[in-house]
Amino acid sequence: MSDDILTTIIGTSTGTTVVTVERGHVALFATAVQDDSPVYRDPRAAADAGLPGIPAPPTYPFVMGNFGVYPELQTDDAPSANPLGKVIGPLMANGGLILHGEQEFTYHRPVFAGDVLVGKGMVVDAYKKESKGKTMTFVVVDTEWSDQGSGEPVCTSRMNIIHRV
Amino acid sequence: MADAPLHFEDVNEGDEAPVLTHALTRTDLVAYAGASGDYNPMHHDEVKATAAGQPSVFGHGMFSMGLLGTAITDWVGVGNVTRFQVRFARQTWPGEELSSRIVVSAKRTEGSDHLLDLDVRLVNADGEEKVVGEATAKVPTAS
Repeated sequence: MSDDILTTIIGTSTGTTVVTVERGHVALFATAVQDDSPVYRDPRAAADAGLPGIPAPPTYPFVMGNFGVYPELQTDDAPSANPLGKVIGPLMANGGLILHGEQEFTYHRPVFAGDVLVGKGMVVDAYKKESKGKTMTFVVVDTEWSDQGSGEPVCTSRMNIIHRV
Repeated sequence: MADAPLHFEDVNEGDEAPVLTHALTRTDLVAYAGASGDYNPMHHDEVKATAAGQPSVFGHGMFSMGLLGTAITDWVGVGNVTRFQVRFARQTWPGEELSSRIVVSAKRTEGSDHLLDLDVRLVNADGEEKVVGEATAKVPTAS
């Protein structure tokens, strides 16, 4: 694949997802990451911890776009032909492995059960490196989550995907 | 969960958080697949994983990061993490004992915020690093 394709996807949108954060799913996710804290399950425990509602665990923003994405809440910018697919598709045609290289979250506030959040994705970097006889293609995607009601930022999720062949 | 909230004054650079240890099972990976929506068969389908040349199913990187997140919030308090970043260094395997290693690398004050910078790692029983990264927490003061 030519490096041109990599440069052209930088700055392109991966679409907008509107997510409803649901209490049952937050508790299920806490269990899956082996966290038995009552703050994820009982609003009284959350209040005792000084929180205005039931929070979600710190890595929850990575998965929340897979749940509570109801059709009537979506915008015209819903993810469809994902620019990530434009890169990954041709790369995978030559075989190789897709790896999750790095992940970063920056939080303005916790995510809470009951939130309706808007996530806007964008490719922020794409580049190729040769390492130990392998070709590594890196694609970095940021998803900026904000509160649909107030417009205030909530968190940013930065995912670094590597294709190695 | 910590018995009492962690205060800025109680912590020094070099301090280590209580270690969270968890023995990884295939059931954990099935539970994480369902809770995350990540149904990559390499994480739950032994037949497909071995056909792809893997010794067995292996853990989601985000399961490792999630487990480390649990250890971090157990110590600094849920809702206090302002940044959490990791690099996925190695695969995790069912039967491995995974442990958190969280060390305070810096204490600092920004405006009215009291911040702890943490070096965070998840390692197996041999000390092999699975995920390596950094986190920052904004913690309350005692006064």
